Amino acid sequence: MSRPENRIWILIGGLTLLFILFIPLSIILFDVEYDYTLRVVSLGGATLGVVSGVLGCFATLRKQSLMGDALSHAALPGVAIAFLVAGRELTWLLVGAGIAGWLAALFINAILKTTRIKQDTAMGMTLAAFFAFGLALLSYIQGRGDGDQAGLNRFIFGQAAAIGIDEIRLTVIVGIGVFLCIGLFWKEFKLLTFDLEFARTNGFPTRLLDIFLSTLVVVAIVLGLQLAGVILMVGLLIGPAVAARQWTNHLGQMVILSAIFGAFSGATGAIASAIDTGLPTGPMIIVTAFAIGLFSIGFAPERGVIWRLWRQRKDKERFTGSGGSGERVGTALGKVMS
Amino acid sequence: MGTLEKLLIDGLLHLFSVEQLNNALSDPRTVAIIIGAMVAVSGAWLGIFLMLRKMSMTSDAISHTVLLGIVVAFIILTKGFNQEPDLSSIWLIIGAAASGVLTVFLTELVYRSGVVKADSALGLIFPFLFAIAVILVSRYVDKSHLDTHAVFVGEIGVAWSNTNSYCFDNCEEVTITPNDERAEVGRECSNCATEGINPRDPKAEFIEVCANCGTYSAAEAWQKRLTDTPPELVFWPKSLTTMGLITLLNMAFVTLLYKELKLTTFDGGLAAALGFRPGLLNYLLMMLVSVTAVGAFDAVGSILVIAFFIIPAATAYILTERLWVMLVLAPIFGALGVYTGYNFSRGDFLGIYQISNLLKFLDRTIGLDGYTTWNTSISASMVIMTFVFFLLAWVVSPRYGLVSNVVRRALQRRQFRDQLMLMHIANHQNTPEAIDECTVEHLPEHLHWSEQQVQRVVGRLRLRNLIQLEGSLVKLTERGHQRVENFTLHYIHS
Repeated sequence: MSRPENRIWILIGGLTLLFILFIPLSIILFDVEYDYTLRVVSLGGATLGVVSGVLGCFATLRKQSLMGDALSHAALPGVAIAFLVAGRELTWLLVGAGIAGWLAALFINAILKTTRIKQDTAMGMTLAAFFAFGLALLSYIQGRGDGDQAGLNRFIFGQAAAIGIDEIRLTVIVGIGVFLCIGLFWKEFKLLTFDLEFARTNGFPTRLLDIFLSTLVVVAIVLGLQLAGVILMVGLLIGPAVAARQWTNHLGQMVILSAIFGAFSGATGAIASAIDTGLPTGPMIIVTAFAIGLFSIGFAPERGVIWRLWRQRKDKERFTGSGGSGERVGTALGKVMS
Repeated sequence: MGTLEKLLIDGLLHLFSVEQLNNALSDPRTVAIIIGAMVAVSGAWLGIFLMLRKMSMTSDAISHTVLLGIVVAFIILTKGFNQEPDLSSIWLIIGAAASGVLTVFLTELVYRSGVVKADSALGLIFPFLFAIAVILVSRYVDKSHLDTHAVFVGEIGVAWSNTNSYCFDNCEEVTITPNDERAEVGRECSNCATEGINPRDPKAEFIEVCANCGTYSAAEAWQKRLTDTPPELVFWPKSLTTMGLITLLNMAFVTLLYKELKLTTFDGGLAAALGFRPGLLNYLLMMLVSVTAVGAFDAVGSILVIAFFIIPAATAYILTERLWVMLVLAPIFGALGVYTGYNFSRGDFLGIYQISNLLKFLDRTIGLDGYTTWNTSISASMVIMTFVFFLLAWVVSPRYGLVSNVVRRALQRRQFRDQLMLMHIANHQNTPEAIDECTVEHLPEHLHWSEQQVQRVVGRLRLRNLIQLEGSLVKLTERGHQRVENFTLHYIHS
């Protein structure tokens, strides 16, 4: 193993340690009181961050970051129909959301395959049409005057206060399922992400795998709908993944880092909004994820902007010749030129 | 803006009477369709260029981040200048345009760092800006002043009720002085409160107070029954002007800069080399997208507005290859979607099906608690119908449609079979193995086709006089030879 790789493992270990120490530290430094609600919300945020961080890696690497945005909007009619058919039961609402998101993914694929419309337009169109359908159904439901339809609006904006221990349990169980899937199909997903043609010529069922991976992304989105809402969910999918990408060139390390960053964003956002009650949870999570992403783009070794500027300056110094070695380079260059 | 509206109404009054105009303008349906059509036309024209530049999702991002501009402008106006702007205030529109440009600028900044892909850059920036906007709203904005729900969903159905009124006849202001016979003069005790005494007390002092003195506009005077002649007023919906101006702006932008837009869209490198400024034009386009998004908020809300950018443009895109035809078709489809969408929101699907029938059926089968009235969000219905037109175009488009695809594939398959059969016979006839290769009985085995397939192709080729049968032996006719020569030459050359 080369040195930079070891460095990343050390970084991962350090971050994990920090994460474990996070709770005692926040108690000492910020006087956070971990009452029941905060425990639940921060735990929910962290779990959600882990799941979406992991899946976000695949989405961003496959240039499908905005797919998350499209699918999360497209889930709305599913929620509404599930409400009409099965009532308020959360599990069914999530299943409905999942099915609608999944159909949207298939629909986008169908447009891409049969017309010359490009991916961005196909996504935007599906997003808007599905969302409009969802809104129409919601206003039908509102017109019906159901006493208990109020819960549906929280899917648009997200509402952390509504999270209970049951939701967390569901998130954890589904999250473990997602991880198992990714673990089992690690090789296939890796191949699909980096060399689709190679995967196809080697006889992997790329279409099926593609749908499978999209389904997992839909699952992550559906889990996040309640906490972050349809609009902000995409930020939690992309932020940690982009941040993790800057620190390493290995998919495995990237996924682990992204999970840690995601968990950190989720928990910090939840706790920040608990310290100051005026701050909504979902947006705080997104702002944290963005901050981590921005920091990584700026300061990550090898790829970061600051790092590259520094190296450019060093290269320039070496070239223009400072001291003996510079002169030697200069004369060598002179010889080459003449 | 006031003078402009007045001029416009003056012009319209030459054509219609005040009554006709008021009737039209107070009809929710007419106003909603006019405003919707204007949103559709502006959206479609800008959307075509967004789509061709592969920036459709940028319009999605912008339509979210304009909230930041609106909120910031709102906070500055309320906290700094003590004003209460509504959604069509010019400052909010300027703030929105600025935040649209900010979104594009930040996205490009992140993208230029070279370590993040374009779509990730957009996906990183716009949730962040939107999150800040939501935080600001929940922190500093009173919910009753800036209705965020209206920003997201919008309601075109009430656009007619938010009006400016203009007076055209019997417009005299009415001023009532205490001496006027219409004045309601009463007496009020001036020192009762301070001295703490009863009005009946002899020490009480009285002053005369006029309850309704002051100056009334003609409309107010008529409402309070101070005049006998009703003033002739025209109530002009505010969003009609805002959206109309934005539409004109967009149309002017596209027509005046058509050449530049076309060039920078299809060949940015060439445009830059020729001395055009692709970057500048790009920012101008993004600014107009933000302004249009804000102007449309009133009507359709921030999420659905992108439908009017993307869907009509995509519909035109699968119907034609020419840019100017797209520019004609897309607004038509958008406006059609708006028109039929209004009816759809009231349960009428293109005049051929009533949604309530479907609801009744569903009520019988799965149970909807007997609620079978389909009376739903107008803007959402407009988007749904626009999408229905896309689906129609997708099915029947002559070049990219599903039907034409199936037909073309079938024709190609048929042509391929014909040519394969002809080639096979041309290769083997007049050779010793012709008896084995070219009989109707053996052809299925050699071509790996079913017998019916062979029968069908043989029949077709005989009908066109390309082959002839000698017993069961298949031979090419003169015409057949000619045909084989033609297409082999064609394949060799291509």
